[in-house]
Amino acid sequence: MAPSASTQQILLSPAELSYLHTSLSLHPPIRPDGRSATDFRPLHAETDILPGTYGSARICFADGTEAVVGVKAEVEKSTPSYVGHDEEGEEEKGRNEWVEISVEIPGMRDDDSMPVFLSAMLSESLLADGGFTGRLWINRRFHWKLYLDILLLSQPLSYPLPLLSLTTHLALLSTRLPKLKSEQDEDPLFDDDWDASVHLYPAGSAKPAVTLLVMAVKDNIIFDPSKEELSVAEVVLAVSIASHSLSAGSGAMEVDSGSGRQLRLLAVRTIDPPSRLTHPGVPNSLNTATGGTAAASLEQENSKREGLHEEGVWQPPRGGAKRKLIAGMIARVLEKGGVGEEVLDGLDAVELG
Amino acid sequence: MTSLKRSLGSDPLSSSISSKVFVRSTKSGKVQKIVRELYLRQDIPCASKLCTACLATAPRDAAGVLAPFVLSAKPAGTKAYLNGHYLLPDTNALLNALDLFESTSAFYDVIILQTVLEELRNRSLPLYNRLIGLTKSAEKRFYVFFNEFRLETYVQREQGETINDRNDRAVRRAVKWYDEHLSQAVKAAGGNKKSVPTVVMLSDDKENLKKAKRDGVAACGLKDYVSGLENAEQLLDMIAVVKEGREIRDAKAQEALFAEYYSVSKMMTGVKNGTLHQGIFNVSPYNYLEGSINVPAFDKNLLVLGRESINRAVQGDVVVVEVLPKDQWKEPSTKIIEEEALNKNENADAEDGEAVVTEREKKALQEEVKKVHSKSSEGRPQPTARVVGVVKRNWRQYVGHVDESSVSQSVKESRKQQTVFLIPMDKRIPKIRVRTRQAGEIIGKRVLVTIDSWDRDSRYPVGHFVRSLGELETKGAETEALLLEYDVQYRPFPKAVLDCLPTDGHDWKVPASTDDPGWKDRRDLRGLQICSIDPIGCQDIDDALHARPLPNGNFEVGVHIADVSHFVKPNNAMDAEASIRGTTVYLVDKRIDMLPMLLGTDLCSLKPYVERYAFSAIWEITPDAEIVKSDFTKSVIKSREAFSYEQAQIRVDDASQQDELTTAMRTLLMLSKKFKQKRMDAGALSLSSPEVRVETESETSDPIDIKTKKHLDTMSLVEEFMLLANTSVAAKIYSAFPQTAMLRRHGAPPKTNFEELGNQLKVKKGLELRTSSSKELADSLDGCVDPQEPFFNTLVRIMATRCMMSAEYFCSGTQAYPEFRHYGLASEIYTHFTSPIRRYADLVAHRQLAAAIDYEALDASVRSKGKLESVCKNINVRHRNAQQAGRASIEYYVGQALKGRIVEEEGFVMKVFSNGFVVFVPRFGIESLIRLRDLAETEPESTFDAEDYVLRTSGSREVEVELFEKVVVRISDVKEEGTGKRKVRLELVKTGGK
Repeated sequence: MAPSASTQQILLSPAELSYLHTSLSLHPPIRPDGRSATDFRPLHAETDILPGTYGSARICFADGTEAVVGVKAEVEKSTPSYVGHDEEGEEEKGRNEWVEISVEIPGMRDDDSMPVFLSAMLSESLLADGGFTGRLWINRRFHWKLYLDILLLSQPLSYPLPLLSLTTHLALLSTRLPKLKSEQDEDPLFDDDWDASVHLYPAGSAKPAVTLLVMAVKDNIIFDPSKEELSVAEVVLAVSIASHSLSAGSGAMEVDSGSGRQLRLLAVRTIDPPSRLTHPGVPNSLNTATGGTAAASLEQENSKREGLHEEGVWQPPRGGAKRKLIAGMIARVLEKGGVGEEVLDGLDAVELG
Repeated sequence: MTSLKRSLGSDPLSSSISSKVFVRSTKSGKVQKIVRELYLRQDIPCASKLCTACLATAPRDAAGVLAPFVLSAKPAGTKAYLNGHYLLPDTNALLNALDLFESTSAFYDVIILQTVLEELRNRSLPLYNRLIGLTKSAEKRFYVFFNEFRLETYVQREQGETINDRNDRAVRRAVKWYDEHLSQAVKAAGGNKKSVPTVVMLSDDKENLKKAKRDGVAACGLKDYVSGLENAEQLLDMIAVVKEGREIRDAKAQEALFAEYYSVSKMMTGVKNGTLHQGIFNVSPYNYLEGSINVPAFDKNLLVLGRESINRAVQGDVVVVEVLPKDQWKEPSTKIIEEEALNKNENADAEDGEAVVTEREKKALQEEVKKVHSKSSEGRPQPTARVVGVVKRNWRQYVGHVDESSVSQSVKESRKQQTVFLIPMDKRIPKIRVRTRQAGEIIGKRVLVTIDSWDRDSRYPVGHFVRSLGELETKGAETEALLLEYDVQYRPFPKAVLDCLPTDGHDWKVPASTDDPGWKDRRDLRGLQICSIDPIGCQDIDDALHARPLPNGNFEVGVHIADVSHFVKPNNAMDAEASIRGTTVYLVDKRIDMLPMLLGTDLCSLKPYVERYAFSAIWEITPDAEIVKSDFTKSVIKSREAFSYEQAQIRVDDASQQDELTTAMRTLLMLSKKFKQKRMDAGALSLSSPEVRVETESETSDPIDIKTKKHLDTMSLVEEFMLLANTSVAAKIYSAFPQTAMLRRHGAPPKTNFEELGNQLKVKKGLELRTSSSKELADSLDGCVDPQEPFFNTLVRIMATRCMMSAEYFCSGTQAYPEFRHYGLASEIYTHFTSPIRRYADLVAHRQLAAAIDYEALDASVRSKGKLESVCKNINVRHRNAQQAGRASIEYYVGQALKGRIVEEEGFVMKVFSNGFVVFVPRFGIESLIRLRDLAETEPESTFDAEDYVLRTSGSREVEVELFEKVVVRISDVKEEGTGKRKVRLELVKTGGK
């Protein structure tokens, strides 16, 4: 269970929360901004905005949240590893230390829980891909060390994980590394022509992972929740997926899709929805102003609320998510022609500079 | 959302900003993407004298001075470009034919683009440096145009465009811009359209030429252009061999003769982790198929044997080698192998059926191996290696002559281009294949060539002809050849240097009034009885001496050195030139000065009867040659007399002479003998090198006679006091500047150097050579005498000298104090102070001493360790080259003096090989090889006993040649057939004395 998404106060009254919750639990749900359940907010993206980096991207959501990611690489000597061999005795190409991710969020220290947690989530999904660090392998003695600097430019209005993840995805796609000229295990020597450099993810190869935020209210599954929607969410999942070329390994969960894109589920994390921290509404039965009797103690109040299911009174969600619901959410992400595919298609359309 | 990227359209200033992106790999292995912003400007001038617009806007330096416009208003025209033309070469043109641009008959008014200059620097640093030299010389009118910074000529790299294509496009753009710019300039000046010079792009790249034609840019192939010039044939030869011929050969898929070089990264990795070794490739002067490399990993050199192992490395290249397996280790050869003799009748044009190793070469090597194998196990094979790559070529221009046998008779007359072999003067350099149209003309001449390339499928490097120095054996040609071969700067001093001379010229005098600033802090020593003692005919008198008794029974002795630092101020053009030249070079008939004549032979020279500025070292010395006190000062002196060594000797010996000067000289002589004794007791070595003097006719400087140098007491008189001055000054400047003093050291030779000689002496003469210290060595050398043969001791000394390290200049901060030692002189600290007219090191020492005695402030250039180190490095090289050039010059003149004569002389065997031996003739100071096949008509059979250094022959002639043995040889000169080279030839008359 992840810590609370945002330290920001939710500035909604219990009545407003209740209203939101009710409208989101309708069939089909009515979202405050009029989107359908699977609609994403419009976003602007561009790559290669920082000439000094090896790859960079910037994404701007319509709500004003904005992130920039820069990628820098350095040649590093590999330390011999004694555990990195798999069963066939082949040396494993790539180690997790080869990637360093730092997340910077305005107004937060770098050891605050939010940036630390976000960078852990992002690196988890990137590394879960398996093939990612292998791309940094130069030869048996050297590798690239990749530094991903993720910078949120705006206040974290909604939970910034998907924004950062998408920006990182684009930045990695635009990342190019100098072309290697030396052979085998020689000290690496590179072509000094930047134009000759090669993409870390060449066209047609697998793509880096993307993490999407999915929430559920009752049995409605809603994608790309805004800040307000999150404040009434019952379940929030961060689902990391990646598409991979057809020849990729068979170990991961695979869902076939007609377009030839194969999506893999890499990681799922539940996120503690901020709705749990909201104040509950006071039902008439507990309100002395409306003729009810106020509970004498907190325990009493809680036990009384337990039995109540009054329409229009906000109750913060309690308890875990149902398995079936989680499975349903994952399926919606991965399904053929589903949201996952839609997002990846959208990202593909971004022109790489 | 607005894009954060810099958009090119919207910003009005954006057109003047661009950026350049590249990858930089640092030495430590870091790889960085570098983005440089370029700020484009419009005030970079075209530098044509036709243009007034640029003149108005061109930027000026801090002093407000405008760099003069160099391109002439009326450039020369050719048939194709009647209006006159400026040349604008691209990189290929410069790479292939820089020699052309250096020729004086054409190639004036040349625009060098920044693009081209940078590309050239990446491709070849030596060529780049030569080009920079050209752009600095005003008379050739070369202008470097910074096209990458000028808005109109800057070219953005397009998508998918290679760097080369982009650079070519930049060149074409620059040509076009110049063209338009010049016609505008002429129009603005009201000139007629006819007077606009054409800007011609010179290129060797067909693609570039084609594109230029398409763009309407005036362009011309290098060959086509040169063909249109007056002396086209000579000039055409200067173009490097372009790869056309190769393509045809490639089509034939000829097998490569040599192994391919490793990639740079593979070599780097190998050198770093110690599996490969890097070093400078040296070829044995006796065997062109044997090279050696000194690598930091091992004490002893690695041997590189055979053409395949040498793998296209040329003397002086920095190469990477791989040690061969132990079963391929060999002893260094005991055989003389000369390229000329072995591969005499090759045809330079023949391409097919070439093997890397000719049959005859193979046979020679086989015999070698057999010998090694038949040896007892005592013969230790040495590790061998093979060249796997070349880090840096150190090809220079080589002097040589055309191998006449490689020129076919039929085309000698015709102008047809043909390939000939050029045999370099330096035996360590392989034959060079040269294509020329002037084969007939350059036969029998000394010529200058450069190596262009050496491909895997060619047995010999390919080069091109630069120029002819003149007929073989003419004084001019041979002297110039020597100077070129030893890299001596012999061109006249440029104007900038002459401008630094005092304006009074020869009329300069020491100011009469002692209030003059020149007299500041100078001691007036004009009253002293000072004289100078030098070789006959010496004009650049560096030093003068005086001695007088003091009332307390001690003596005052002064050494007065020409005050060159008064005239040569640090950091001006003259100083720069002197530091490059490093030393004056003395040839038999010529002196190449370090400083202009006016200073060297007049103003600085301590000529007799005139007042001169000097730098004096004055000591108080007891009659037992103990120094009581020493003092250094700038002074004004007036030398009473300039003696030659002989004159001085006669005067000292003549008891009737009792004047002040002569008694002073006697005092000096007495003291010098004591000094010498002390030095010898401390372990100073008296070494020897074969020294002869060539007497020349004064007018034609034709050699008349050769004399071995006679040693006179007066010589050691001067020598001792110069040593005294040098050591005192060294101590003084070191105490004043412990980090930056200019000193001279002579390292103790490693024991292994003497191994061979020690063994030879032990085996042949039963003598022992002790080498643990210089004192031991000096004593044991004294013991190396043969009562029957007085010369034997000198011979051993000559051979011992060759085992020594060479002395070197260094900056005191770079070595620990114990390393300062001068081994030969047995002195703790030493420098050169006494010959500032002819050595740059002395000039530096002068400046430092002047600062040490608070005469003047120390200039930054002699205070910086880095700068001094580079000065030391240069003068060490120059010094060695000067010595070698001097020796080569004497050798040449000895040969000339012997021309047409046959003399029988005594000689000594210095070195024995399995198929020949080296004889040294003291009378002429010559050393030459006698091969077995020279002994008789048919080469006698021989057995070589390497342990006893005896070569026995049987069959057609029976002799037994031993090391150190006295032999009688007949000396004659031969003009070698086929090469037209005159050589001293020795023939063995008999062994034993006369």
